[in-house]
Formats: sequence, C-alpha cells, structure tokens
Amino acid sequence: MKTITTKSASLGGNLPRREFLRLTAVSGAFLAIGCSPGMGGEGKVTTIDPAGGTDIPLNQFVVINTNGRVLLYNHRPEMGQGTFQAIPMILAEELEVDVEKIEILPSAADDKRYGSQMVVGSRSIQTEYANLQNMGATAREMLKAAAAKRWEIDISQCKASGGEIIHPSGKKLTYGELVEEASKLTPPENPPLKAPGDFKVIGQPIARRDVPAKTNGAAIYGLDIQVPGMFYASVERSPVFLGKVVSFNDEKAKAVPGVKAVVKTQRNVWGHTREGVAVVADNYWAANQGRKALEIKWDTGGLEKNSSATILKKYKADATKEGVSLAEAGNVSTVGGEGKVVEAAYETPYQSHVCMEPMNATVSVKDGKAEFWGSTQNPNGIRSQLARQLNIDPENVAINYTFMGGGFGRRSMTDVAEEAADISLQVGAPVKVVWTREDDLTQGPFRAASLNVCRGSIADGKVETLEHKVVAQEIQNQTGDKMEAGRQLMGGINTEYEIPNFRISGVLQKHYVPITYWRAVYHTTNCFAHESFIDELAIAAGKDPLDFRLDMLKNHTRYTKVLQTLAEKANWYGPREEGIGRGVSILERSGAFTGMVIEVKKENGKVKPVKITTVVDVGICINPDTVRAQTEGSIVMGLTATYKSGIRLENGAVAQSNFHDYNMLTFEECPPCETYIIQNEEKPEGAGESGLANVAPSLCNAIFDLTGVRVRKLPLDLGAIG
Amino acid sequence: MHTKSQTMASLTLRINNKDYPMEVDPQMPLLWAIRDFALLTGTKFGCGISQCGACTVHIDGESVRSCVTPVSGAVGKSITTIEGLSADNDHPVQQAWQEEQVPQCGYCQSGQMMTAAALLEKHPQPSEEQVNAYMSPIICRCGTYVRIKKAIDKAVEINQKA
Ligand code: FES
Ligand code: FES
Repeated sequence: MKTITTKSASLGGNLPRREFLRLTAVSGAFLAIGCSPGMGGEGKVTTIDPAGGTDIPLNQFVVINTNGRVLLYNHRPEMGQGTFQAIPMILAEELEVDVEKIEILPSAADDKRYGSQMVVGSRSIQTEYANLQNMGATAREMLKAAAAKRWEIDISQCKASGGEIIHPSGKKLTYGELVEEASKLTPPENPPLKAPGDFKVIGQPIARRDVPAKTNGAAIYGLDIQVPGMFYASVERSPVFLGKVVSFNDEKAKAVPGVKAVVKTQRNVWGHTREGVAVVADNYWAANQGRKALEIKWDTGGLEKNSSATILKKYKADATKEGVSLAEAGNVSTVGGEGKVVEAAYETPYQSHVCMEPMNATVSVKDGKAEFWGSTQNPNGIRSQLARQLNIDPENVAINYTFMGGGFGRRSMTDVAEEAADISLQVGAPVKVVWTREDDLTQGPFRAASLNVCRGSIADGKVETLEHKVVAQEIQNQTGDKMEAGRQLMGGINTEYEIPNFRISGVLQKHYVPITYWRAVYHTTNCFAHESFIDELAIAAGKDPLDFRLDMLKNHTRYTKVLQTLAEKANWYGPREEGIGRGVSILERSGAFTGMVIEVKKENGKVKPVKITTVVDVGICINPDTVRAQTEGSIVMGLTATYKSGIRLENGAVAQSNFHDYNMLTFEECPPCETYIIQNEEKPEGAGESGLANVAPSLCNAIFDLTGVRVRKLPLDLGAIG
Repeated sequence: MHTKSQTMASLTLRINNKDYPMEVDPQMPLLWAIRDFALLTGTKFGCGISQCGACTVHIDGESVRSCVTPVSGAVGKSITTIEGLSADNDHPVQQAWQEEQVPQCGYCQSGQMMTAAALLEKHPQPSEEQVNAYMSPIICRCGTYVRIKKAIDKAVEINQKA
C-alpha cells in the first residue's frame, strides 16, 4: 500500500542530519516524486544510496553528499509549468555542476526557510531568479574557499567546474571531498555571478526530470494519496451559490454499505461561506452513492432568479456610469473633435479552470495537530488556513504537497483543504475529499465575466483618444461595502501605446457569483477587448493592423522587436494566400511580451484557425523547451475559452455540468503552432501564461480580416460566422 | 434510492498479470477498483462519464474507459494499466512521450498513452484520420496536443526500427 506517513520536519538552524531516499531510477529518471516519503518534508527520508556517504547541506537549496552526489531542493510545487526543472537549472548554473548528474528533491513547505512557495502569476522564476543564482553561487564559493584553504592558495586561483574545484596546476578536489569543510565556513555575502554570455545550463532545452515519472504512472498527485485509516468524502453543495442548508435527511445515505457518517460542512471562498453536506465512507464510490441518496433542503434566498442574462443586463446598465479612473493621460473629452469616432462593447463569460485532476484534499486532524496531503499552488496558504480554522499554531500543521494535475489559479485557493479539515475534525479520522467533475464545473470559483466598453477617435490616421471601461467583479474585493473599482480590474490593458489622450476606468460589480484567479486573469478578458479595439481603430484609420501597433510602440524596444520578429516569422508582409485571414495582437503578461498571428480559413462553411505563430520575449529564458510548451498549452487554453466554452448561468446555477456540455479543444482541432523565443539578456520574466490572452483578439481579428464580421462576444460560434 | 445494487461481492481482478482480490460492490466502476482497491493510481479520474479518456485502460487488448465499466465486467479478463504498459518505462509510446517531452502536469497522459498504444497495436502505420479518431476524444487541459502529434509519429518510427 502506498502510504504517506512522513511529517514535515520542524526545521530551524541547520538542516537536521538526514538520509535520503534514492529517488533516481536506473535511468537516472526522477521517479515517484510525490509518493516519496520526502514529499513536502525534508525530515524523515531514508537513504538507499548504495554508495553511502553523508549528505551535507550548504544552504536550504544545495546539499552535497561526501560521495559527490548533488541534491538540489526545489521549493515550488509543480503543476505542469516546469519550475521543477527550471529552479535546479538556475542553481546548477552557478554551482557549476553537471545538470545531468544532479538529483532534484521537493522541499518542505516551510516559509521560514523558503519564503513564499506559492506558484501563481508565472512568478516563480521572475521573483526567485536572483535568489537562486545567489544560493548556487554561495555554495560554489564556499567549496572554492574550502579548496583554497586546503591548498593554501588564494580563492581567486580556484576554479569551479563540473562538480570539482580545480587548482591552477590542474589538480582537482571533488565537491564531495570538500563539502564537510565548506559547510563550516561562513557563506559569502555577495558571491560573484556569471555573465549571461557564460551560461552553460540556462538557455538549454534540457529534458524535464519529472517527465519519466509522468509516463509510467509513478508520479503522485493529490488524488492518489492514501493515508492509513483514511475515509473518503463526497460533498453535496447547493447548486445555487451561497445556498444554505435548511435541513437534510441522511437515512438512505447511511444505508449505503460503506458509508460511515454524514456531516454538515463549510468552506470559505473569498469571504463567502459556502455550505455542504458531506457523506463519509470507506471508499469513494460508496461516498458518492450515499451522496446521491441524500435529501437536502436549501435556502437559496432568491438568488435562483439570477442568470447570465440578468447579470449582463445589470452590467450594461452600469456601463453608463463614469467609473473610477484607473489610469489616464491627456484629456479624453477631446474625443471626436476632429476625427472619426469608433465605439464598441465586448462581452466575455465566466470560465471554469477544469484542471484535469479534480479538486481534492486529504487532511488529518488529531490531538491539536493537522496534516495535509495534496496538490496545491499554495502550501503556505493551506498551513495558515488550517491553523486559523482549527485554532492551532501553524507549527502544528504539516503540509505535504504533491504534483498537481493542473492548477491554473484554482489550486491557489485553500477552500478544499478547509473542507477536508472540517470533515476530518468532525469524524475523527483522516479524510480525503474528492470533488466530482460536476462539482468542479458547477461550484467555481470562476474567471470573472466582463463587459468592456471602448471608445476612441482617429485623426490624421492616428489614435487621438481612447477610453476603455471595464465592468466586472474584482477578485480581491468580493464582499463588504467597498464599491470602488481597484487597479486589478485593468489587468492587461496596454498603457504603453503612445496615445495622447486615454482613460482606463472600472465599474465594480459585486454579487454572488464566486470568482478567482484564472490563468492570465483579467488579461484574458481585457486584452480580448483592447486588442480587438486597437484593430477596429486601425481599420478605421485605414492602416495595416501590425504597422498601426508598431507605430504606437516605436519607442518601446522590446515590443518593437517582438512585432518585427512576428511580422517576419508569420510572413506578414509577404504574398497572401487566397482565402486566408490573419489577425495580430501584442501584449505583456507577468513581464513577458507576446505577439501572435493567427491565420484562419473557411472549410465546409466553417471558419477555422489553421496556423498560429507566436513570438515571446521572456527575458533570459531558462529552458526554451519549457517556454515553448507553456506557449503551446496557453494557446490551447485560449482557443478553448475563445470558441469552445463559457460558463452559462441559469436559475442561479451553472447550466453545464461536465465535458459533454463544457467543451475542451480537442487533439484534432489543435492547429499547427510555431513559437519563437527572442534572445536577450533582460531579467527572466513569467512564461507560464504567454500567449493565452493573445488568442482571442488574434483569432477575432483574423475572422474580421477574412469575413468582415467583428466578433465582440465570447465564446464565439465558429460555425455561425458568415 | 439506488441502494439495491449495493451488495458487496468478493472478486478478483487480474491487472498487469497480477491477481488482486477485493471485496467490492460489483457495480462500482473499474476505475475505483483499480485506484482505491488495487492501489494502482496511474489510471486517472477526470470526468466519470466517459468524456475525457483519463481513465483509459486495456481489457484483453482493447482500450476501455474504466470510469463507465462496472468492475463485474472486468472479472476474468486481463487488464493492463499504465503501470503495466512496459516493465521499464520503455514501450515505444513511453519512449516517444519522453523524447518529445509531452507531459506538462502529466495527469491526462496515462489515458493519452494507453490510447496511443492501442492505436499503434491496431494500426502500426496509422493514417491521420485514424490518429484523430483515437486521440481526439482524450482531453488534455494543459494543451499538449502539438507534442502528442509529434510523439505518435516518433512512436511509429521507434516501432519500425524495433
Ligand atoms: S474519467 Fe473516464 S472518461 Fe473521463
Ligand atoms: S498534461 Fe496536464 S492535462 Fe494533459
């Protein structure tokens, strides 16, 4: 039985002396990460390293065995974004070790040692790069200093390379031979760092170590966790968000063989309490069967009268309000003075994350302590959540994070862990809560729906004024009385365009539909509007849409470079094939600049995307293969959101329930994608969402180019385009 | 309500050439028997209604969606899961998936690979239509389709060399 019994070590000062499970398989592949007793806890891991030796930490990231083995800790959970490989690559670069020979171990969830371990907003590399360089370099300098001492020479005469320190005479000492002495030295404050031109690891398309474990079933996800004495729970929740349990009858549920208990439970989503009734059983199937037999009376307090239509109606009415100014320049009241006025409104629906791994959490609450196992983007957040909810010290909460079967923002929430802890507390046993796909799709939280109203004017072929008003809910302001829109609402709207008079404003919506972060967040709605509207202005000005953008970004070197490269790679100025429409967009997300051209054509009366060319500038690119993979994945997610699905609300609840009516882009529908990465030495930026927000505007601009039909409402129906 | 079928039965599943005796509701989907009783967790739950393919296994060589196959229907048959596709993670499909660096989160990939393996078993030189017909019903939310396409070509190539 696959049993996880490790506790996170209580760490402080030096890492405890420990032995490591040899996780590398014969092939050198990192096997079974996540099922390793070491998952999320550095404490009790046992060595089966046949070569023996002692592991000695040089800091919280770098551990070297006296036999020369190099172990690098990875402190950021992996959901497919590739930091599992990128983080050790940065460490290995400065440490001067052969990247093929390192072993990667997931670190404990411990904010005292690692700070935030949250994986959101493509920020892991962006925010950790300098720190990781420093950690690698510090360890390297300590090893050099140990060698210099041994050889009685100056440290400047020592060179580090391939896991060895080299004497000017050519003699060598391995890191294993030096680590014990090195560990006793004081880490240097500002170790020298490599110039990007000298990189040997960074920038290489190095195969990901987590891949082999993901091709034979060995990789462990939250859903795979088994804990001794564990029960399974399936929770019935009000289909209308915020419905309260009035009463329930659990007689029939309890008659299902295997069902152990039925308890009321609750969780918190951005300030809203959400209630449910949990059926707890000794297997998941029984829990689900019991759940089907529950009879629950809900109080939905009139919220069942809401629908997508009523919400949109309210948004449209509110769009006439002036809104809070979020950014502005010049004076937009000059609109229409001399020029041509263009107005357009764009609508986007709620979207679900639908991570392939349905939401789940395993929690054991016992004797004033709690332990969590599962897939999370936010290990520290779960620790604080459980401590707060159970009123215990965070030190008494152990967190074991596994691989995630997708995250996309949904797994930055702590509500599922809260639910599992609440049920575990009530039944006095470890509990694994598993959401069905239907739960996932109907309960949210979702990406916000929005109405974007744009107005602009053109004079002398240039944009004279531009107003962009966002009418939407704001993630960080979902409850309480504050009704002023915040800057979060303007995410993605490009203020770098040289437009003399512009105003970006927000009209905050506050209601019962739960929303949260969704990959690329407000960019996915705002950029659809903004980059479509820029196109509309270009058309009104009689300009080529790419040139039009280039002209307004001519003083921004990185945008310019991306657009020029894109024009070249997509053959923008070359001869155009008959029956092909093209659309372009450019934007910035998490510091990375992305330009995309989508080509469409008509086949059997239906428009379809036939080629997607993307150019990304993420600054220094740690692993180009990962950046490419992230872009390809973002494109697929963007296409799904643009023309495959959107959450519809009817009678206060989500109208869809599973993949049969909330469709995903399929293998066959995925067009050829070409991704180009700009080489430069700018600091690394976020690559995990590159291209996602480009898809909708590039596709809709291409559809206009081909058919003259302007799409202003998503999801669009490709079959219905004339 | 639906409690009539909830009688337990002792039965044995043969998975990856090994017997797994268990006491379960014979109506329970095979998926949960594999995951929660045989504790082979490589087979994944994605939708439960035969709409995503994450739960794909082989029964007597045919690819089957274990989330809608009652466990009773698999008794006496030979079940293969991703853990049994090869002993050393080196089935041509697994090799190809590694070479093309297909998985992102990896969660859907057991289903993708079991389906691709069934495809190549039936059609060692699949046409584009055959590839589409097999692979299109298997959802990947991370969007690894571009690489799956390449990996299938690569697996065909590896097969040929072997
Ligand atoms: S879980 Fe079986 S097809 Fe989705
Ligand atoms: S790799 Fe994540 S769902 Fe396919």
